Amino acid sequence: MSFAVADLRPPFERPPSRVAIRPAVNYQADLANVLFETLREFALPVRGKTVLLKPNFVEHDPEFVINTHPAVVAAARESFLRLGAKTVLVAEGPANERDTEAILESIRLREFLGPLGRIFVDLNADGVELVPTRTRASKLKELYLPRSILLADFVVSMPKMKTHHWAGVTLSLKNMFGIVPGSCYGWPKNALHWAGLTRSILDINSTVRPDFAIVDGIVGMEGNGPIQGIPKPCGVLVLGDDPVAVDGTCARIMGLVPERIDYLSHAGLLLGHLQPAKILQLGETIETVRIPFAVTETFRDLQA
Amino acid sequence: MSVACPNGELVPASNSSGFAGRVCRPFLLNSQNSDGGWGFHPDCDNAVEPTCWALAALSSYANTNRDSSHEESVRRGLKWLCDAQLADGSWPAVPAQRVGCWITSAACLTLDAGGYAPHQVARGLQWLCDFWPAEGTAWWRLASKFRRKSSLVRQDASLRGWSWTQGAASWVEPTSAALLALNRSPAQSRRIAGAARRQSLGERMLYDRMCPGGGWNSGNPHVYGVAGVPRIGPTAWALLALRQYRARSENQMSLQWLQDSYGHIRGPLSLSLAHTCLTAYGKVMLPVGPALEAMYSTNQFLGSVASVAWAIMAVQTTPQSVAILFGPSGPSPMIQAANSDASADRPPR
Repeated sequence: MSFAVADLRPPFERPPSRVAIRPAVNYQADLANVLFETLREFALPVRGKTVLLKPNFVEHDPEFVINTHPAVVAAARESFLRLGAKTVLVAEGPANERDTEAILESIRLREFLGPLGRIFVDLNADGVELVPTRTRASKLKELYLPRSILLADFVVSMPKMKTHHWAGVTLSLKNMFGIVPGSCYGWPKNALHWAGLTRSILDINSTVRPDFAIVDGIVGMEGNGPIQGIPKPCGVLVLGDDPVAVDGTCARIMGLVPERIDYLSHAGLLLGHLQPAKILQLGETIETVRIPFAVTETFRDLQA
Repeated sequence: MSVACPNGELVPASNSSGFAGRVCRPFLLNSQNSDGGWGFHPDCDNAVEPTCWALAALSSYANTNRDSSHEESVRRGLKWLCDAQLADGSWPAVPAQRVGCWITSAACLTLDAGGYAPHQVARGLQWLCDFWPAEGTAWWRLASKFRRKSSLVRQDASLRGWSWTQGAASWVEPTSAALLALNRSPAQSRRIAGAARRQSLGERMLYDRMCPGGGWNSGNPHVYGVAGVPRIGPTAWALLALRQYRARSENQMSLQWLQDSYGHIRGPLSLSLAHTCLTAYGKVMLPVGPALEAMYSTNQFLGSVASVAWAIMAVQTTPQSVAILFGPSGPSPMIQAANSDASADRPPR
């Protein structure tokens, strides 16, 4: 894959990335404390800033098996506020459902976050700006992007750890599909698929590279993800300052070879580090938490 | 119980028509931008979709309540909508876009329901008939045989409906909206070459994409051998678009699914659409106002202009009001003419 824009740094110019793996047995654990203590280790520049959390809320999910668990989102919000953030927004643009509020109510987000009016941003219906993509991996060339994303000082991708029947896995990079507004691209955002699904992931992330990633791996999903797979308890939260390194680490935890995942291997060329030697691992080791995920037939070759 | 107005004022809850009049109507009037259009939220830049639904809702309110006090607001909105049409007859999602998309259907519906700008509606319908989705061509079908993921979904790609945006595949909701727009204006549609064929293909595509057991999702009834789960919005849209075939078993199954799901709906847009659809099919429904008002009191519909507009239409919906927006539900004379050997209650197969 060729990139026409050299504005992104190749791995040899990047400092090592940091990724923390934290155990969390279930969603009743003291997640706010786990996240706060870990985020403090990263010394993130969020004081006085607007932080935007981008969870993966894609489906009606009363059993909490598809979406990022609202307890993790609430814990992250509380942690960033404790770290001095001026505002912490939660924003998502569901790909298949036009009634975003129906999804939020199905996962009882209000019970975890309080009144949503001033906290939640529906990215499918936000004001938009036309932005040229910083890479030319897909046919997109430019993207309509929500103003809330463009105005945020610090964007945090917060996916659930899942397999994906089109892309192999969906983690912090694929999760950024949700920032693209349905108002301009539809429900689903099918124009991105036609522009090249995995390549669109690269263009979106090169244009709005998340500043941080927090992966909900407490209960993931294996098999026919991202919606119809099987819950996979893993008991981990994975956090890091490089979404490529975080996704690579998650893939390794899932028993997959990240270099064989098309978009992730290319992301490792310009967007972040994929090589273990360039990732400073904090907390648990991959080996101690590794738990192989089942994948669909077409992605058997991704398994280690 | 009290509900919050967009300006933060708390007002006591009242009956359903009161909710439309005291909360929803002021919300729409207060959130209209100075140039006449509406954004997806108050203080947001204009977009075509919320403008269409706001205009449809205010017109519905005026018809039902014989209240023309917001006539000037509607007039300014219609002018903005007409001005937003592109040279090729289509409408973009937002004015900054220079290419048309599915929202052309909503613009045609809105203008035609009010009897406005027939020439612009005709150009919009012509564009819709010329706007083909990207899948299903002979070349595409040949190439798809060699794609490893082509076998993951099970559907007939030769049945081409309408896509959300240019250069993408057919989906249930934009196909439904286009069918509704074309059916809304039979006289105009009849003058467009190929319109009957597009309608026939679109209707067959919808039936092909129905989920096993009834209902529709965005358009994937089977993925990886797993049956797709229907959703409220696409089901309501598809049933509205296919209501001239109401006796068909697929319609009845889907209607039953929608009725069974009705009590579990958690979002205002879904609830309003479902209520409108069930009313269009002659189902006797309890007033939806209290449920919508309760939802409004929790999240204020997340400030969504479209949700507020559809709430007005749902609260006041009757079979007659559905007919005003979507046209009469009788068999399409054009389809009948195109398929004279088919029964009126069955689209061509």
